Amino acid sequence: MEWFDRLVFTFFNAGVAARYLPDIVKGMGVTVALGLCVVAAGLVLGLLLAVLRTLHRPWLTLPIVAFADILRALPPLVVIIVLFFAFPYIELSMSSFTATWIALSLVLAAYAEESIWAGLLALPRGQSEAARSTGMSWWRTLRFVLLPQALRIAVPALTNRVISITKNTALGSVVALNEVLNNAQSASSNAGNPTPLTLGAVAYLIIFLPVVLGARWLETRWRWKR
Amino acid sequence: MSAPILEIVDLHKAYGDTPVLRGIDLRVRPGELVCVIGPSGSGKSTMLRCCNRLEEPSAGQIVVEGVDITRADVDLNRVRQRIGMVFQQFNLYPHLDALGNVMLALRRVQGHSNDEARRRARSALARVGLADKAASLPAELSGGQQQRVGIARAIALEPGVMLFDEPTSALDPELVGSVLTVMRDLREAGMSMLVVTHEMAFARAAADRVVFMDAGVVVEEGPAAQVFERPAHERTRAFLSRHHAPC
Amino acid sequence: MDAILQNFFNLAVYRDVFGFLLRGLWTTVWLSLLVIPIGAASGLVIAVAATQTRRRWVRFLLAAYVDFFRAFPPLVLLIFIYYGVPFLGIDLPKLMAVAIGFMLNNSSYYAEVFRAGIESVPGGQAEAARSTGLTRMQALRHVVIPQATRNVLPDLVGNSIEVVKLTTIASVVAIPELLRVARDAQSLVYNPSPIVLAALMYLALLWPLVRWLSRLEHRHVQAR
Repeated sequence: MEWFDRLVFTFFNAGVAARYLPDIVKGMGVTVALGLCVVAAGLVLGLLLAVLRTLHRPWLTLPIVAFADILRALPPLVVIIVLFFAFPYIELSMSSFTATWIALSLVLAAYAEESIWAGLLALPRGQSEAARSTGMSWWRTLRFVLLPQALRIAVPALTNRVISITKNTALGSVVALNEVLNNAQSASSNAGNPTPLTLGAVAYLIIFLPVVLGARWLETRWRWKR
Repeated sequence: MSAPILEIVDLHKAYGDTPVLRGIDLRVRPGELVCVIGPSGSGKSTMLRCCNRLEEPSAGQIVVEGVDITRADVDLNRVRQRIGMVFQQFNLYPHLDALGNVMLALRRVQGHSNDEARRRARSALARVGLADKAASLPAELSGGQQQRVGIARAIALEPGVMLFDEPTSALDPELVGSVLTVMRDLREAGMSMLVVTHEMAFARAAADRVVFMDAGVVVEEGPAAQVFERPAHERTRAFLSRHHAPC
Repeated sequence: MDAILQNFFNLAVYRDVFGFLLRGLWTTVWLSLLVIPIGAASGLVIAVAATQTRRRWVRFLLAAYVDFFRAFPPLVLLIFIYYGVPFLGIDLPKLMAVAIGFMLNNSSYYAEVFRAGIESVPGGQAEAARSTGLTRMQALRHVVIPQATRNVLPDLVGNSIEVVKLTTIASVVAIPELLRVARDAQSLVYNPSPIVLAALMYLALLWPLVRWLSRLEHRHVQAR
């Protein structure tokens, strides 16, 4: 069983774990906070852009479509790197939290706008006609008739996107953000033992398994209401 | 002779280069039920949809309760509260139950309180015979019931005139009767109605006046009995015989 | 404005680093071409196993595998494998670590997509195939899977685009793909233009694919 003992000593070392657990927990706080900030900003911005797109003005639509295309084509890590390492050169420095938050929010907004727009396009024209024929204004029609339905259609795509983008908070470690992965890596090199990485992995599972399961539950609940 | 509640004056509509309406004049007097019949492609639905500007007229005027609604400076949302519309495809909001469908405009357009809106909505549903289906979602209702909810949604706002765009064309034959009954009741209660329909028997029995349209113009109009029994034009006769209209 | 041109779009720097970046781009491309088929194939195997087995524990195990690797950030997985495994005395080449990490992560996403595809094919298709004497495997191979693939083609393409973007995390373990090369170039010339140029190259590579994907999705929705 010698290899088993070695495995435990290497990856599940209780002493190392105890010493560095506080760092990992602190990192979890940053990961969760960043995730929530990204989801809030990204979804709100995405919704706003989709609503603006319903105005059908070319000078609004074209930039929005370009934004959505570009931010879905660029790898998120590239956006983070550009914000953190390139922008200081034009007098726009920002913290690693800010750079990661802005980058991931913009990416989520791009996907959210596309999903919500697709949901709006899927609605029969009769819905807005019926609402307008009862005297509802454009905004009220959008708010009470079209968006409730479009959002229900968009939920599966949106929940998947939210999951993958919040997992990308780990990319913040590349610009030295003190979230879980970064703290786990420093701890591991300090300790000369990868147990903190194991702790980090467990920390991510603790954060994200509930999110994945919660997303499945949300999907079934909203689908049934239709 | 009282002033018409809805007046269509020299209405023209073209899609690009294709003319669909070539000068329509039509009047609906208060309390009248006017049926518009004609072959597909005659422009009947387009004309109806111009009446609340779901389609924009290319030329001409639509005057509702004395207000020319084709003017650029008119408050379209305010005007549309005076015009009720019932659609061929019902267009009920699937995410709201029947009561919710009827209440939405009462609350969000006419600004009634929750309780007042609910009271009016229930009363409208009762008028179409669906008081017991208030909590049902559209997906749980038959086609005829859905259309009656659509009618309730329109009458709850107490419009001056109601537009019906082939209200029974999407229904299974057994369900058509329930909707036509509601429409007859509305007429008895004094509602002014402009109905585009293929239901010849209904037009014959219930309409005050019948208008026959073909290729974007009004070919003939007059009292229902006259148009059906003694049509003046050859085209009218051809259409009626093709549709085995009762004489 | 001037600062932007000087620092982001410095043509002199572009000229100097273009050759390096091109090599990095090539690495990105062949890394993607390596990893996508492996991930897709293993995903397909998992999906077939999950939908065809009658044993509940197998389905449960596979579902757990998929959920596990969908919850696990790929960068963390990569770091874990890359830095952790040498502690066990195993000498793992960089590329192997990357390939294994990607395979574990991708296969779970592809498995989900293929599973949805297989379930979208009506059961009657397999029944019809079996009733003409085809074995289960043959029915799968010639009737069910082709239709399943066609049904979820937009999702498959979308997922593959995600994998190409994912190659950037390999830069963290010093694989010389485009982002890594650009960052190294930046520290050499003290000017961030290389990473902006790299961003433009990613755009040139992926924007057309994203546009194509949008068109695929619209056609797909209409065809339903």
